[in-house]
Amino acid sequence: MKIDLLIPGLPAKTDHFLFGICSLLLLRAAGRTILFDTGPFRIRPLLIEALKAHGLAPKDVDTVFLTHLHWDHVENLDLFAHAEILTPRAEFEYAASPRPNDWGTPPYVHEILQGMQVTLLPDEEQELFPGVRTLLLPGHSIGLQGLVIDTGEERAVLASDALWSARDAVRGVPDVAFFDSAKAQVSLDSALGAGDIFYPGHDRPFRFQDGLTTYLAQYRYQLSFPFQPYGQELDVEISTERSANTAAPR
Amino acid sequence: MSLFSPITLLFTGLPARADKFLLGISTVALIRIAGRTLLFDTGPYAYRPILQMRLKRLGIDPGEIDTVVLSHVHWDTAANADLFPNADIVLHESELAYAEAPDTHDADTPGYIGRALRRLRLRPVAGEQDIAPGVRILELPGHSPGSIGALVGNALLAGDAVTCAGDAAADDIRSQRSYDGRARQSLSKALTLADIIYPGHDRPFRVGPPIAYLDDYAIRIRFFTDPAGPDEEIQVGSFAAKSFASWP
Repeated sequence: MKIDLLIPGLPAKTDHFLFGICSLLLLRAAGRTILFDTGPFRIRPLLIEALKAHGLAPKDVDTVFLTHLHWDHVENLDLFAHAEILTPRAEFEYAASPRPNDWGTPPYVHEILQGMQVTLLPDEEQELFPGVRTLLLPGHSIGLQGLVIDTGEERAVLASDALWSARDAVRGVPDVAFFDSAKAQVSLDSALGAGDIFYPGHDRPFRFQDGLTTYLAQYRYQLSFPFQPYGQELDVEISTERSANTAAPR
Repeated sequence: MSLFSPITLLFTGLPARADKFLLGISTVALIRIAGRTLLFDTGPYAYRPILQMRLKRLGIDPGEIDTVVLSHVHWDTAANADLFPNADIVLHESELAYAEAPDTHDADTPGYIGRALRRLRLRPVAGEQDIAPGVRILELPGHSPGSIGALVGNALLAGDAVTCAGDAAADDIRSQRSYDGRARQSLSKALTLADIIYPGHDRPFRVGPPIAYLDDYAIRIRFFTDPAGPDEEIQVGSFAAKSFASWP
């Protein structure tokens, strides 16, 4: 049983758009090549690159585990039209007609999934593959499911947005309780109690011990803002390496 | 811009790039003219709650939008067309045909966009025509098979036929990934027919010469690297660029 981090989640926000960059993982279990969530459209080139770095093309992914049906987890599904899609039944049924104020779930999710082989996960926890158990984590969305993976040495909790970032662990409160805040609190507590290392929806994986978080991955993105037609460019970095030189509180 | 311009920018496009992912900061504009309320492009899904909030702030109910024009059906322009229950969705018939079966190597068109759009009240167009008093659809193909723009008086909402002011200054499509060779002619056509251009990924500008921007912009980005610490904030905007000697 192997977990590879393809793309770490990014806890970034702007006042102009949502980043939506969630954690994408590659799991090998029971002879399967499993992609954990597919991410927002904006990371499509990065996803293809990350698969390539593991010697894979999208067609080599035979199983996709979709934690929930928010836009930033489903927008690249069309790359995996040949794969078996595992997703919670509650999510799939709800997506036929999302609540009017639910901007997270595209009303066209069923159109995205049309023609695909979809296996709906029941509303109970189960051993999906040897060493891979599902975890019911509703609250961020109606029926989000995560995974607990026993690697032999430790238990990894793949919590998706039930654990939005490491801040949820530090504060003990879910940051993005989008659908039902009471259930989101219960789900955060049960996710944090289910293992030793954690893969949040929109942050790097971390170890959590005695109330302290230790990150297990880094990232570095560079953004360029040109001031055309005659101006210069401003380059900014969103990087875990920034923390060393900008640690002073504002 | 005139105080009485029928065009209100909801999202100012930016020619920004990231090294590892797509930014897709595209232009979304409202056209209010002769009692009609039209939306030009809808942005990426990542705009959705902000788009809803900005409309609300302007006192516009989504049901009041009578027409949505899709300049083309890339991921960063067509993802929110479903938000407007009473709107006709205007797009070029060749763009719609392409949306039903995009090329597998097309890196900007979601494979499902045709199916998503088919749920809506589509109004495919071909040729140039008025879709509201004073709002004329122009064919500007090349960036995508059926890219269109909307000419409102002397101002053109150009979509990605004019990606940014830099391309206009160079009279070349150097900033866009185009579908076919017609993109070059469409850029020239756009620059000939309008005095003011709202590009797909830049601020509105006067065609000139010299090319002159008509609007500012500012973006704030927040993130954190220490879950127990405060957010870090990055501010980017034309106010920052004004300190450069090269600012016009």
